[in-house]
Amino acid sequence: MLKQAKPKNARAKRAMDKRAPQAHENPKTTLFVAGQKTSQILKLATADLRTLKKPFVESFMKKNDIHPFEDASSLEFFSLKNDTSLLVMSLHSKKRPNCLTLCRTFDHKILDMLELYINAESFRTLQQFKNKKPAIGLKPLIAFHGTVFEDPNQTKWTLAKSLLLDLFRGQEAGEVDVEGLQYMISISAEEPEEGKLQPQLHIRFYLIKTLKSGQKLPRVEVEEMGPRIDAALGREQFADPDMMKAALKKPKGEEPRTKKNIDMDIMGDKVGKIHVGKQDFKSLQTRKMKGLKRGRTPDQDTSMADANTDENTTDGGSPTTPKRTKV
Amino acid sequence: MSDVEMDGGVALGDQLVDQTNAMDIQSPPTTSKTAASMTESTLSSRRPVNVEKPTPYTFDLGNLLANDPNPVELTSTSNLEETLSANARDAAQALINQLLSTCELKSTTEGVHLVLPQASTPLPREKPIPAEKAPTKWELFAKKKGIENKKRDTKLVYDEATGEWVPKWGYKGKNKEGENEWLVEVDEKKEKETGVAHDARSESRAARKERVRRNDRKQRSNERNARKTT
Repeated sequence: MLKQAKPKNARAKRAMDKRAPQAHENPKTTLFVAGQKTSQILKLATADLRTLKKPFVESFMKKNDIHPFEDASSLEFFSLKNDTSLLVMSLHSKKRPNCLTLCRTFDHKILDMLELYINAESFRTLQQFKNKKPAIGLKPLIAFHGTVFEDPNQTKWTLAKSLLLDLFRGQEAGEVDVEGLQYMISISAEEPEEGKLQPQLHIRFYLIKTLKSGQKLPRVEVEEMGPRIDAALGREQFADPDMMKAALKKPKGEEPRTKKNIDMDIMGDKVGKIHVGKQDFKSLQTRKMKGLKRGRTPDQDTSMADANTDENTTDGGSPTTPKRTKV
Repeated sequence: MSDVEMDGGVALGDQLVDQTNAMDIQSPPTTSKTAASMTESTLSSRRPVNVEKPTPYTFDLGNLLANDPNPVELTSTSNLEETLSANARDAAQALINQLLSTCELKSTTEGVHLVLPQASTPLPREKPIPAEKAPTKWELFAKKKGIENKKRDTKLVYDEATGEWVPKWGYKGKNKEGENEWLVEVDEKKEKETGVAHDARSESRAARKERVRRNDRKQRSNERNARKTT
């Protein structure tokens, strides 16, 4: 851990404040680090991921002798220095060919990690699909296909889902432009079967085309735009439960206030439920009649006798004088 | 279902067979032009927009995410891409249907916007939630006494003498008023006591400087106390 220095000028202070923990966070930046030995496939894959992740990307040009599952302290240091909480490490070896390690940090400490061994046979780059690519920084649609991702327990697959969603989801947005829904990331995996190899993770990127359908909703078609990545899942490191709990905490006052008593009915009309307070019948104006009028000169005795009971028994339950009943 | 795109998928697949194991091929498949032409010809027909699945999708619209819990069956390598793109198409269709039917649409001058709900998939934060600032000694006292914050919306104050608005502090600040008077009265009583010529200007400057230093001292002590308590 670096010693927290006091900022010497206003600009440094602003920069430090920007990096300090915030209630409402900035989008996560991803750092791409190459290991001591990489392959052509890895270079191409990371280059494509970088283009898709723009502008929230940092990357190192030089190689670093890091093995994340043996010692991840260097990655933690990189995370701290570059203010990046997602790291993608590429390392190629005979034992683990074309290995892409996805790491996530919380408070600049490694939270969880997962290895993806890219299948070199089926890998295709972004450029190999000759079509129009989406603009930079758009929020993609994401879909996960397969039962493995729905596991209530923590597995490699749920970790993969969480990491990939965090990697690809882009900026948090309150609203999106309909024109901006241009591409979809579809991630699928088969069922794991006994006695067979682990199923592969199929990551596909598709352009979305909407056609007129003659109905209110458009007909959607997809066209592959690349990259095409098939990967086997390798080693994983799950998050420490306490650390994960701290990371999942939501700041107070962030959740929107639920609007009570406002519903939508089947017809799509807004329906509000109103609670009317109890009606006060005392002050109710009834029909004025001569017979109901109070006497001009009230009897002194009766009003005095009434004075005691008046406050206590305001309801007409108790026996009252004829004068009172008229009121 | 999507017979049009399926054709495209097949065409794409054929070309890809040629270039398997050839990563450096510079002329990758030309995209499905046949598919495009066919879509134009079938424009008039009513295209289905509903997606029927044995298990319904679940959505997290805040992240534009669709979860398809149906098992994926990729029996052979030949129809792998077709199955994947068909699945992706269905998911995209379902997600867009869901977005357009449940989210509020806002049309502005820049275009039509979809108002997204809060994301529901739990994802870890980058850094911990910032700790709440410890109250200063004054804040504690003010709370105890029920003293409300005085609203300080402007730095400027009205100078009665010149009839101008001047800053309360800083360059040409009101708090430096007594320091650059060209003529000041000498307090004889004070001069007699100290034995040195009394200067009201330097005195007022010294008092101001001392106030600043005092405030710094208090600030440091508050910081120290905050560190102690946490």
